[in-house]
Amino acid sequence: MSILIYAILSLTVMALIFGAILGYAAKRFKVEGNPIVDQINELLPQTQCGQCGHPGCKPYAEAIANQTDPINRCPPGGEATIKALADLLDVEVLPLDAEAGVDSIRKIAYIREDECIGCTKCIQACPVDAILGAAKLMHTVIVDECTGCDLCVEPCPVDCIDMLPIEVTKQSWHWHKPDNLIATDRQPNLTVTGEDAA
Amino acid sequence: MIQLYNFPGGIHPPENKELSNPGQLITLPLPEELIIPLGQHIGAPSEAVVKKGDQVSKGQLIAKAIGSRSADLHAPTSGVIADISDQQVAHASGLKETCITLQVDGKDTWHADITPADPEQLSDEEVRQRMAAGGIIGMGGAGFPSNAKLATDKPIHTLLLNGVECEPYISADDTIMQVDTDGIVKGTRLLMRLLGQVKCIIAIEDNKPKAIATMQAATADDTAIEVVVIPTKYPSGGEKQLIQNLTGKQVPKGGIPADLGILCVNVATVNAIHDAVYLGRPSIDRITTVTGKGVNKPGNYRVLVGTKVDFILDQCEIDASANKVVLGGPMMGFQLPSIQVPLVKTSNCLLVPGIDEFPAADTAMACIRCGQCEVVCPAQLLPQELYWLAKSDAFDKIEQYNLMDCIECGACAYVCPSQIPLVQHYRYAKGVIRHKAQEAKQAEHAKLRFEAREQRLIDEKNAKEERRKARAAAAAAAQAAKRANQADGDDPIAAAKARVAAKQQAAKAQATDSNPEPAAEPSHKELKTAAAIARTKLKKAQKAFADAAATDHPDTDKLQATVNELTQRSAAAAEALVKFESQLGVDPEAIKAAQVEWAKANAKVRKLTKLAPEDDATDAVHKEYQQTLAAAEQDLQQAESHLQSLKNPTEESS
Repeated sequence: MSILIYAILSLTVMALIFGAILGYAAKRFKVEGNPIVDQINELLPQTQCGQCGHPGCKPYAEAIANQTDPINRCPPGGEATIKALADLLDVEVLPLDAEAGVDSIRKIAYIREDECIGCTKCIQACPVDAILGAAKLMHTVIVDECTGCDLCVEPCPVDCIDMLPIEVTKQSWHWHKPDNLIATDRQPNLTVTGEDAA
Repeated sequence: MIQLYNFPGGIHPPENKELSNPGQLITLPLPEELIIPLGQHIGAPSEAVVKKGDQVSKGQLIAKAIGSRSADLHAPTSGVIADISDQQVAHASGLKETCITLQVDGKDTWHADITPADPEQLSDEEVRQRMAAGGIIGMGGAGFPSNAKLATDKPIHTLLLNGVECEPYISADDTIMQVDTDGIVKGTRLLMRLLGQVKCIIAIEDNKPKAIATMQAATADDTAIEVVVIPTKYPSGGEKQLIQNLTGKQVPKGGIPADLGILCVNVATVNAIHDAVYLGRPSIDRITTVTGKGVNKPGNYRVLVGTKVDFILDQCEIDASANKVVLGGPMMGFQLPSIQVPLVKTSNCLLVPGIDEFPAADTAMACIRCGQCEVVCPAQLLPQELYWLAKSDAFDKIEQYNLMDCIECGACAYVCPSQIPLVQHYRYAKGVIRHKAQEAKQAEHAKLRFEAREQRLIDEKNAKEERRKARAAAAAAAQAAKRANQADGDDPIAAAKARVAAKQQAAKAQATDSNPEPAAEPSHKELKTAAAIARTKLKKAQKAFADAAATDHPDTDKLQATVNELTQRSAAAAEALVKFESQLGVDPEAIKAAQVEWAKANAKVRKLTKLAPEDDATDAVHKEYQQTLAAAEQDLQQAESHLQSLKNPTEESS
């Protein structure tokens, strides 16, 4: 009988000790925020374009983490981002939601400077502060900072903003995928990235 | 004699170096036009300092370096700047780049500032300046600006001169070692001095006996310089392979030779350094091997930077059957997109294969996992695994297999029995990985900027709120201060009320004390006023009564009573006035008529006064005027006395 009591007592004491340790650890090493949101945010292209219906990439990451939004609403990220998100979250790869927009090549905004009237509307619209200018003075886009989000085009009252594809330079060019795959591998519409050398 | 350690892998392709007669240097005639690309080196392209139409002489600066990892460009010969525009350059992409087009005038006159100097008399800093002014970049192929390479802050104990030239067909370094021996040795001593008396190893492959003999003879008396002969094996000339061969140590992953205390420089670069420091001549030409069975006059040519490939091929008599031109050697070179492109400082070989020399690659066959690629890989990678991963776009995984350590030597593809273009796959994967890394960097940057902006907007909003609160607090404080003053008795409203009250009090006192007479016996004027006031009051009351009656106001009866009372008062006032007037014996009508008379006379006098004649008028006119005025004044006096008599009969009588 006493053995039974000792066993119960010792187990109770152990349970209390471990409970205390766990409780302390839960407080001491509490993770601030939702780590999955940051991981999702890392995968998003940070264009901050809002095509997903959220004001920026982070809010969309939060929506994905809360499972209120599907992973296929990011046109700038395209298929690659959807695939990466599917890998991370262990869900099915979905085709890009056409409602959000279409996957297109990356573009950069350019202001036709002699047509700019200096209204500052595009400056306020730019999510990454990539437009430089002042009221009634010409504005210009800091090309290196532009994410190509398109948000400045709509507010412009004189339609002087062009979205132009990024030009491939000697520095940014890279070799395309060899298309002379082995005979048994030949596929009809093989996607080839990069410029053709010839 | 130092011990050699060999390096893993490697192949022995047919050398074909004799084809280009190593040691025989031919200087090409001046072309008519030179095209000098601004981005010949690694790093930011230079910036043109000349403009269209400028006359330049040989060796004159035409584009200056931007930043520390860049190099100056100089006019390779004298002439006129014909254009600065985007032109196709010698790059596998076939893309365009900004180039300076120089119309050669054929005089080939050196710029006046090009002066020789004795480095013994120069300080280290001056030597470096002369070197930097020479616009020298690594001429072995990579194009790394030499000044930036020398500016390393890591301790260097060995200067390694690379004269290995392991790639088949090429003999440009072999030739320069035989032709410009003196320049190479002097340049080497200069570098050793700048690096702080280090030892020097000149590495040459054993397939260049003449170059070895020449270099050994030139450095026999210098114990600090050692010519090391290494066995021929491709790619023994690769920087990392050469260092492993000589020291047995590997350059750390992602590191540079300076991490091991070694500085590796190509022999042609050292010669260019000599030219820049001793002669003041910038890097404007180089030795290029033109070879292959597709040219009738293969050899080593001294070509000016910017010489177009088609000009060189014309001079070397290109064979009609040749169907492609490769820039670089057969292992690492690439097919030129066009022969209209210029050669640059790093172009060491133009290879024009004959029709049967490099037959077009057969269709790649399936990988049979023979493992030969793994055997020959000098970087000890797993080419077969890398191939599978590159083919399936598994970029994360391929990085774990150290793809980035691949030197793209092509040994694996060379030995592949299935003729799989392995290096192309690696180049593609490397390109995508670099592109992704760049995109990730940009995304991170954009994220930071976006977050900074959000924070700024929040801060602005908070600051606005703060300001609003501060304003509200200030207003509240002002109110409180006001109330406090009021409590002290300084309230202006109260003060004003007090003043008014005091005034009324005083007026009342005056009325009762000092002036009881007028109240008892009102004057004519007062009576008149009282009558008028009574009339006005009555009118107002009547109107109010009418309004009230119309709207059925409950106070209608009250108003009726007021109207009645006022009617009586008004009548009384009027009666009092009439009574007073009759007592006085004044006829209001007569007074009125007299007033009109008086006003007329007054107006006449005034008019006349205004119409006074000018000073220069005749005496007659003056006289007439005086008379008229006097008459008018008399009329006025009469009218006035008449009026007075009518108004105050009592006063007159009394």
